[in-house]
Amino acid sequence: MSLKIVHLLPELLGTYGDQGNVEILSWRLRKRGIDHEILVVHAQDKVPTNGDLYLLGGGEDDAQIAAVEILNRGGSLRKAHNNGAHFFAVCAGFQLLGASFPASGGRTIEGLGILPVETIAASPRSVGELISTPTIDIPTLTGFENHGGQTRLLEDVQALGNVTHGVGNGLESKIDGVITDQIVATYMHGPAFARNPELADWILARKVGVLNQIDAPIFTQLHDERIKNAR
Amino acid sequence: MRLSFAITLGKFGGFLSRLTKRGSGVMVTGRIILKIVPQAVSKLSQGKSVVLISGTNGKSTTTALIYKSLSTKKPTVSNYTGANLFAGIATALIDNRKAEFAALEVDEMVLPWAIQQTQPKVIVLLNLGRDQLDRLSEVRVVAAKWKSALATLSPACKVLADADDPFVTWAARDLVNVIWFTSGTSGHMDASTCPECGVVLKWSADKSTYSCECGFRKPSPEWILRENVLAGPNNQKVSIVSAIPGMAALSNAARAVITGSFFGVSLVDSSEAISKVSSVDGRFGQLTIGLTNFRLLLSKNPASWRETLATSASGPQSLLLVVNAQTQDGKDTSWLWDVDFSPLKGRTVFVTGDRRLDVSARLTVAEIDHQITDNESSAAKIIGKNDADLIASYTAFHRLAKGVKR
Repeated sequence: MSLKIVHLLPELLGTYGDQGNVEILSWRLRKRGIDHEILVVHAQDKVPTNGDLYLLGGGEDDAQIAAVEILNRGGSLRKAHNNGAHFFAVCAGFQLLGASFPASGGRTIEGLGILPVETIAASPRSVGELISTPTIDIPTLTGFENHGGQTRLLEDVQALGNVTHGVGNGLESKIDGVITDQIVATYMHGPAFARNPELADWILARKVGVLNQIDAPIFTQLHDERIKNAR
Repeated sequence: MRLSFAITLGKFGGFLSRLTKRGSGVMVTGRIILKIVPQAVSKLSQGKSVVLISGTNGKSTTTALIYKSLSTKKPTVSNYTGANLFAGIATALIDNRKAEFAALEVDEMVLPWAIQQTQPKVIVLLNLGRDQLDRLSEVRVVAAKWKSALATLSPACKVLADADDPFVTWAARDLVNVIWFTSGTSGHMDASTCPECGVVLKWSADKSTYSCECGFRKPSPEWILRENVLAGPNNQKVSIVSAIPGMAALSNAARAVITGSFFGVSLVDSSEAISKVSSVDGRFGQLTIGLTNFRLLLSKNPASWRETLATSASGPQSLLLVVNAQTQDGKDTSWLWDVDFSPLKGRTVFVTGDRRLDVSARLTVAEIDHQITDNESSAAKIIGKNDADLIASYTAFHRLAKGVKR
């Protein structure tokens, strides 16, 4: 059966290059000969509820609000979650899966409520290299963060990583992102899968089982170089 | 009196800067002048007809072409070498105190200040797109700054604005004296939501027009560039010839011709003068490294990369990409994934610069064969005695542009 990857709203959640994650996943699957399809969902499209893996990226304020409205239509993204789909969400995409997030003019926008987190406005923006020690068995994570929100975990959920450089979720938590049975979320752009090939594979393996290695040293070189030069 | 003193001291500072090989002296001169007389730009602008040019991409080229057009009529000063912040603008204005025209390139964020200081006769608004998101603002923030600054304009000031760009349109739509221009560019990667109300913006199937339920829509343009023919009000028509390659250069040439017409330069005279400009501050200049003859191209954000890759498609077989991520380049290279590199398929591609590994990862996933080299010289050694294109990000470009044959 073909793995169905759903690329959500690239025109709204594609300001920070996170659509690269989709290309990278597809490339990593292709290299292994794993059958898959990429379904790109645009603003006017119906959000499918039968996808296997949904990807959300970072975007601007207005776009984030527009995205929530679209993803909420008919409760489609929640249905997908209830159907057992997996998610990888970055920055604005991470925030909108939570209970609420901030918008311009001091507004608070209700999120999709799929993740037990809430985000509040924080000044100044957190901008720069972000490094964390993951709570799962993969190498150190590296990314570039650029966000004006800080995210609080509302239940006892697991962080994706413990921050060693940068801000991440903020609020002095020293953690970045969240990881649940179905969701991995982070503030890391870069894109995250370009700099952290083992994160990409870890997420894929959860869905398709054990993966063989790919001979592509460039991603490991990039990973190591970014960590070395971040400080 | 105080201003004359400031200028003398500023020039002396610039002279010392050149003498000690610290720089061109442009910034030093301007900084000294503004330190002594903070209102210097306002004073120096008096009696001059000032044109301000701003936008994410195409500022330097458009400014150079407007300078060329206006110079056919009267002495003109300009900062088209790209020093587009406060000091650069001040220095440009003292270049020739008797100049009647000033064509000033202005950084997007400095436009409000420049409007207030220079009381311009004309403003040319090019485009707004994502650029260095780690240090500059998201596009909507810049557009909002423009809108409130433009609201303070004297109604006498003409604003030549790009109707194809929803952000430019939104910033300028309430002005009395706005003149709309279209070159038929389609779509806009940052304008998926309406700048006015924030809901999803409706684009026509061919992405040539946009509208929103709130009433925001693409204005109907007075000046239209189709292929290379520029048509304006009262059946005015002229062929635009640009020695600088690419579609963007042609639109910028058209804008310069229109701007010239506001000051009485005939369309034909403008077009003729502009057609001779083949390189602006190193862009499209020739650079020899080792045995290789490079054509130097600047690319600094997704929109300019797309344009540059399209322009380079008809260029030589070999191509060197130089990408840095210093402060002026933007420190986040995630935008590389916004760019479709597929036009590079089949070319011989070399990659260098501080962030060559990021570029290599990007090209690997795009299935573009390429080779990483330590620097430009090592790429040139492999390319040998051939022509090649060299596309460089901001800091690399400015380092390399110093070697361009003038």
